[in-house]
Amino acid sequence: MAAPQKQGFDRHMRRKLINYAFVGLTLAATAVAVIALLLILASLVINGFGGISSTVFTLDQPPPEMPGGLRNAIVGSLEMCGIGMVIAVVIGILAGTWLAEYGDHNKLADVVRFLNDVLLSAPSILIGLFVYELLVVHVIHGFSGLAGAVSLAILATPVVTRTTEDILRLQSNQLREAGMALGAGKGLVIRQIIWRASRSGLMTGALLGFARISGETAPLLFTSLGNPNLSLSLTQPMGSLPAVIFQFALSAYDDWRRLAWVGALLIAITVLSANIIGRALARGSHKQ
Amino acid sequence: MAEAIAATAGEMAPRVDDSRGVSRAGRNDTIFHGLCFSAAMVLMATLVGLIISLIIGGWPALSHFGLKFFVSSEWNPVTDEYGAAGPIVGTLVTALLAMMMALPLAVGIAVFLVEFCPKSIANTVAAAVELLAGIPSIVYGMWGLFVLAPWFSQHVQMPLLMSLDPESFWGRLLTGVPNGANIFTASLILAVMILPFIATVFRELLLTVPTYVREAAYGMGCTPFEVVRAIMLPYVQRSAIGAVMLGLGRALGETMAVTFIIGNSHAMPHSLFDSGSTIASTIANEFTEATGDLHISALIALGLVLFIITFAALAAARLLLGKEKY
Amino acid sequence: MNFDVSQADTPSVMVPPPLADRVIDVRGLNFYYGKNQALFNVDLPVARHQITALIGPSGCGKSTMLRTLNKIYDLYPGQRAEGQILFNGENMLNAKEKVDTSQMANAGGVPINGDTARLRARVGMVFQRPTPFPMSIYENIAFGVRLHRNVSRAEMDEIVETSLTRSALWDEVKDKLDTSGLGLSGGQQQRLCVARGIAVEPEVLLLDEPASALDPLSTAKLETALMELKSSFTIVIVTHNLQQAARISDYTGFMLLGKMVEFRPSSDAFVKPETAAMRDYVTGRYG
Repeated sequence: MAAPQKQGFDRHMRRKLINYAFVGLTLAATAVAVIALLLILASLVINGFGGISSTVFTLDQPPPEMPGGLRNAIVGSLEMCGIGMVIAVVIGILAGTWLAEYGDHNKLADVVRFLNDVLLSAPSILIGLFVYELLVVHVIHGFSGLAGAVSLAILATPVVTRTTEDILRLQSNQLREAGMALGAGKGLVIRQIIWRASRSGLMTGALLGFARISGETAPLLFTSLGNPNLSLSLTQPMGSLPAVIFQFALSAYDDWRRLAWVGALLIAITVLSANIIGRALARGSHKQ
Repeated sequence: MAEAIAATAGEMAPRVDDSRGVSRAGRNDTIFHGLCFSAAMVLMATLVGLIISLIIGGWPALSHFGLKFFVSSEWNPVTDEYGAAGPIVGTLVTALLAMMMALPLAVGIAVFLVEFCPKSIANTVAAAVELLAGIPSIVYGMWGLFVLAPWFSQHVQMPLLMSLDPESFWGRLLTGVPNGANIFTASLILAVMILPFIATVFRELLLTVPTYVREAAYGMGCTPFEVVRAIMLPYVQRSAIGAVMLGLGRALGETMAVTFIIGNSHAMPHSLFDSGSTIASTIANEFTEATGDLHISALIALGLVLFIITFAALAAARLLLGKEKY
Repeated sequence: MNFDVSQADTPSVMVPPPLADRVIDVRGLNFYYGKNQALFNVDLPVARHQITALIGPSGCGKSTMLRTLNKIYDLYPGQRAEGQILFNGENMLNAKEKVDTSQMANAGGVPINGDTARLRARVGMVFQRPTPFPMSIYENIAFGVRLHRNVSRAEMDEIVETSLTRSALWDEVKDKLDTSGLGLSGGQQQRLCVARGIAVEPEVLLLDEPASALDPLSTAKLETALMELKSSFTIVIVTHNLQQAARISDYTGFMLLGKMVEFRPSSDAFVKPETAAMRDYVTGRYG
């Protein structure tokens, strides 16, 4: 009788030890992720923070070994992201509305939903190739800010569409029925009641879309190309932060590399804030 | 249901409203519906256009080289010879390596957050992990190039180079120019990038394991480890594979981070620490400088291959995760 | 529920089994969900190799009571119990406390020392919803056994057959042991869970409304299995089905508003309830 009890005791200890080891491993895995985040943020701040000065925002990108800033790139990024977001928000919200409000029991809607998911996960560089073929080669005949904006729009639209559909589906049917019971048409109910009730959720979608495109580099490389001078014209090549970072970081000049770090820090701050605000909004709207 | 109510509302309306107002409202509704529908069609046309443009653009190279495009690793703009085996293999290898590194970590994180982490800080930790997904890929690229690569070269590659017999298995597997820019470091960066995606989906999956199943397992005297391994992980198995495919899709298509750190050589990589290239990095590096029509076509054909690979990963993910999610 | 609160305050009537028969003895138990107290100074003596039924209107605390006996509530932060749950010569709620349980019917195994995994191996539980694990019928049973000891394949085959036979399921599944446990009917799944619970050979088996999701025939099979099982196990069952409690139990505890109102041998409890509250309940005045 004593022997099996002893065995049972050891077995129990072993199970407990394995369990402790397992808890330790999962804790370590989490630590790895958190440490990676901290390491990346730390090197961004260490390498980029010292370079932030007013000239970053007032001077254009310099030739090698000359003083300069990132004004042309920042302005170009803002312009292309802005235009891209306007397109994405308009198309995304309308398309998401169609999927959520008109797309039930509709085969075509299933297809659109699936294609939207494909677009959402398509590598961004392929979007660049497509816009290059479409606009750079055929329509505008040359690299341009507009081509850059369109490729960013194509990247952001599926995000907005997806979030819009999800958010609108959260609204109760009673709300729709109550609106229609007053004699309002379906479209009016959607615009005046459903959209309004979903406002923070729609904002989240837009912010997440913005977060996705503001750091995008790949599709800009062969659509807007880049422009060392400040240019607001949509038909001319346009500078952008990510493209300048790419160019400067891979260069051999220390000044350029320093500016690349500054640009990376600026982009990271923008994207992370958009992410954080978007998620906070989403959490707020879930609580309602 | 809603349609029926809309119809009823439309029929009822004339009694309370003057007919002109109703017809205007009706017309507005139709226009609005039309606008929404058109937006959805624009979205659809974009993807269809994307596919068609890749096919048309890539056709000259594909028809010119035929099967050789996929099996040859001779990629030479000077002689206009384009064999894409190097980048294709590089894409698959880096993505798989990244997955092998990220998956155990992601499972660990998800399990920690769901089972062990004190509830008061679980959401904060989860948010930190998700922030990792928010960092732009170009930032990962810079970090890889300026921080990871030098560290890796100095503290991993050099010591290995010194201590390993170059003829041994490990020596061959780990040979390469010790500059830290290689297949392995590229995979490492990719692993960090996809980690938050997989961990987040996994966490959500584990949270779907019904309470009664967990309780039943704990009720038999299982330790948390046994509950997770024998009950919770098998419970989410199928969807978990979907999550993996989703992460794989991301790793396959990632461009900038990889371009910074993979070393950009089109030859077939011979070791883990050899420089290489992926489809995306090849396109990013060469597209603006490509002058020959065949060169451009070959790059677009590469894009088509990448699209097909990522599409396959996404389709598999959707099949496994179920229709409504992701 | 339209019961009178003052009734619930009537002094409880306890006719417990003799101390020497008790395997588990709950004394003065208070239970809290966060700030809400769910159990008030409850006593529950559990007699060895008998079936003890806990009855009462929903929300009376009978399930909460049951869930303290194997400390499954421990999974949830914020839930806590105070008082004494004496088992195996120890107080489950305070491993350090010195208690004298020499008069109790103790199996006297390895000390538990506040280790919930060890406690749950000896106080098994079957839940309201059938909870087969996502594996084969055979593995469902073997899984629990393997946690606690090394068993050869032949021995395991025997354990699986014995437990399934004792839970009255063997004849229905003996030809498909390798198929998933999830493929069984609800009643079969529940008996599989019973088999899984007893395969570990616990001393006590807790059942939380095990028949509430089952049809009458499955319920009858389950009850027959339980009556057979009490020769080897001590059983505590929570049920809202009075007939069931009357049919199978040896002792019945009637709970109301988190208190134990009446605890007596079942043969008396249903025939002549002593408290007004239990009389009302037995005659169907509570929903």
